[in-house]
Order: sequence, then structure tokens, then C-alpha cells
Amino acid sequence: MESFLSNNAIYIVMIIVLIVWAGIFFYLFSLDKRIKNVEKELKEGVKNEK
Amino acid sequence: MKSKSYSLFLKDFHSELRTRYAINSLAMFIIVAISVIMFAVGQEKVSEGLTGGLFWVVIFFTAMSGLSRAFVSEEERGTALTLQLLSAPSTVFSGKLIFNIILVFCMNTVIALLYSALFETFIIRNFALFFISFVLGNFGLAISSTIIAAIIAKAGAKGTLYPVLSFPILLPLILTSVQLTLFALDGTSIEQAKYELAIVVSYDVIMLTVSYMLFDFIWKD
Amino acid sequence: MLKISWKIFLFLLLAFVSIAGIAFPIVENPHAWYEFPLIPGLEENAKIIFFHVPTAWLTVVAFLVSTVYSFKYLRTKNLDDDAKAYSSTQLGMVFCILATVTGAVWAKFAWGSFWSWDPRQTSIFALLLIYGALFALRSSIESEDKRATLSAVYSLIAFVTVPFFIFIMPRIMKGLHPGSADDTNAGPVVNFKMNGSMQLIFFLSLIGFTILYFWMWRLSYKTIIYRDKLDKKLIRG
Repeated sequence: MESFLSNNAIYIVMIIVLIVWAGIFFYLFSLDKRIKNVEKELKEGVKNEK
Repeated sequence: MKSKSYSLFLKDFHSELRTRYAINSLAMFIIVAISVIMFAVGQEKVSEGLTGGLFWVVIFFTAMSGLSRAFVSEEERGTALTLQLLSAPSTVFSGKLIFNIILVFCMNTVIALLYSALFETFIIRNFALFFISFVLGNFGLAISSTIIAAIIAKAGAKGTLYPVLSFPILLPLILTSVQLTLFALDGTSIEQAKYELAIVVSYDVIMLTVSYMLFDFIWKD
Repeated sequence: MLKISWKIFLFLLLAFVSIAGIAFPIVENPHAWYEFPLIPGLEENAKIIFFHVPTAWLTVVAFLVSTVYSFKYLRTKNLDDDAKAYSSTQLGMVFCILATVTGAVWAKFAWGSFWSWDPRQTSIFALLLIYGALFALRSSIESEDKRATLSAVYSLIAFVTVPFFIFIMPRIMKGLHPGSADDTNAGPVVNFKMNGSMQLIFFLSLIGFTILYFWMWRLSYKTIIYRDKLDKKLIRG
């Protein structure tokens, strides 16, 4: 497999790009979850005040 | 309403005559700026294209030096609130705009005359084109500078922020006007320059409309 | 279940676009569904269209959204609208920088140097200046309301120049970038001689990036708004 990859470097680029996307999406998912938690806390807070 | 803006303009004009601020400091600024360029250039021959560009460099920085006073001086002197109570926002804007237009015209005429005298490659071959682009460009410069001056006067940041905000907004005007100046220096006919003239005209119209619509929001505290 | 899966769908979409955009071969006469045509003037570099154009597109979208919410703020005076406008401006700035940088890297290999003051390069640089100035303006004002009002006004003025910079100026001036006045291949209107599968991947890329932008924007403005709410709650006790 290594010889194929070193000859067709374009596929190495593709794998790198996919890894970068995976990293970005991992970050976005975790951010999303954290914000959802804050949202829940705020809603609880408002409910408790009422 | 027209006479109210005119009287606002007269008030600024008279206070200007009294202090002679614009005449003194702006005139000095123009002389200093052109001198710096001449010293920096030294013995080198300045090509026609370069003088055309440098012409607008001096115009831009002189405008930045002088046009913010329209609003900043009101804030500094504490008269902004009085002005707010006296008249409708659009009247205030019209008055300040008239003042700035006249100021820009005077400044740029001086700059153009000095350039013609001092730089031998600054020869206007198509005077009609130069005059039209001069008038249109000055209007655009005055309009954008006035509205940005209003913004920074309220922001309280004045000085450094004014060129930072104005330059990108003026960029379409400056790019096109430099091109038109080069055309006028070259002697290109008005026919060939109609694209650029159309751009400057639309810039002027759009900026004027947008400025009037938005000034209300800036002016009211 | 549906809420989570649109994000996963987005990931799969962008992954597909990346794979297709990068790995599909460019051949003279494309026959298979996965082959791209050879565009004279661009050749191998044509694949950039799937990644560089979307960043520029998102810049315009982001600044448009920020202008819309600036306008909304001026009418409602609701600081939430200012938060939305501000986070969109931030994203717009990020994508503007990305578009400039990806363009410059491409320029190095296609035209010989990173920066040649080509009209399109100049206009994207002008956009950087305009919106950079907006951030400078915001940081100079302490009062929340005044900051929001003045940046809303400036956004509206700034956005007036955007159509000129992105759509008019690079098309009427002579330059190196595809689509400029003296480009014989592409012409001023978007007509890049792409074949069907290339157009498909291109539009999928645009759609994917746009959905990505809206997700990032939502996360961003929610952060600002909740931070604001919590701060105010703490102050009120």
C-alpha cells in the first residue's frame, strides 16, 4: 500500500483533508454538547425562579 | 428645511472664519504633505501614472486630517446636544455635508493647482474629463467622510480610527478616481471613460442615500 | 434522533465532497461519472474550485447575514440581534482570511507569486480592511448600546461596498484571476466549462459549506447570548 500511496500523492492529501475535517467536526460536536448543557442549566434556573 | 441646513452651514462657516482653523492647519498640511513627497522623490523623475496616484494620496490624507472636525468639534465643545434639540437629523447632516463639500472643493483645488505647478508630468490633457471626475470624486469623498465622521464622533475614538474606517469605504471611489485622473492626464476621451464615470456616479448616489437613511440612528443618543 | 443526524449527514457530505474533489481524476474526455474535464488555463489546479470558492462564497454569506441582523438591531434594539450580527461578522472575517490565504497559495503555483495585486486579490484585501475596521470600532466603544448601534450603522455602510468589490470590480478590470476582463476561458459570468459531475460536486460543496456556516454561527451567537444572560443574572443576584 505504501508504494501506491507514495506514487499517487494526491491520496495522501485526501486522507489528510479527511483527518482535518474529522478533527473540526469533533470540536464542533463537543462545543454543541457543552452549549446544550448551558442551555439546560439556564432553563432550570428560570424554572426554579418561577 | 433647506434654509435651516443653510443656516447651520453658515454657523459653521462663520465659526470657521473666526478661528481660521481649516485654512491654517489644512493649508499647512497640504504644503507639508506635498513637500514630503517632493523630498522623498528627490531627483527621480516621477512618471505620469505615479503623479496621478500621488495626487489622490495627498487628497485622501488631507481629507482625513480635516473633515472629521464637522462632528468631532461639536462633541468636544459640548454643543452636540443643543444641535440635536434644535433641528431634525437630516437637517444637521445636510448642513455639515454642505460645509464639508465646500471644504473638500477648496482643498482639492489647491492640491490640483500645486500639483500642476510642481510636478512637470502632471499635465491635464483632457480638462473636461478631469473636471467631471474632480467634481464627482469630491462629492463622493465629502459624503463618505461626513458620515464616517459622524460615527467616530459618537464613538469617542476620533484620531486614529477615522482613516481606518474611512479608507476601505472610500476605496472604490479612490480606485476609480485614480483611474479617471490617469485618463485625464493621458487625454482619453470621455467616451472611453464612461464605465468609470458610471461607477463614481453610482457610488455618490448610493452613499448619499445610505448616509441620509442611517444618520438618524447615529445622531439620536 | 433527527437533530443529531443532520450534523452527521453534514460530515458525510463534506467528506464525500473532499474525496470526490481531490481524488477524482481530470481527463481530456471524461466518460465515467467520476471523471472531470480538462479546463484550459486551470488544468490540474481546477480542483481548488471545490474548496477555495466556497470560502469566498461564505465570506459574502456571512457578511450578508451580519448586515441583515445589523438592520434588525436598528429596528428592535434587541442586543441578541447585535450578538447574532457580531458572530456572523467574526465568521465572515475567518472565511475572508481563509479565502485570501488559499487564493495566495494557489497563486504562488499558478501565477508565480503569492500576491500580485490582481483586482480580485485587491478586492478581498479591501474586504479585510473594511471588516477589520469594524472590529477596531467595536473595541473603542464601552457602552453596549452605543457599540451595537454604531457597528450596525457601519456594517450597513460597509455592506454597500461589498457587491462592488466581489462582483463588479474583479470582472471589469483586467487581471489574472479567472473571470476577469481579459480571461478568454471563463468569461465574466460564471461559466467554467464544468461537466455534469463536476458541477454536482461543486454545488454539493457550496451547500455543505453553507450548512456548516449556519451551524458554526448558531453555536457562536448562542455562546455570546448565554454568556450575556449569565453575566446579567450574576449581577442581579
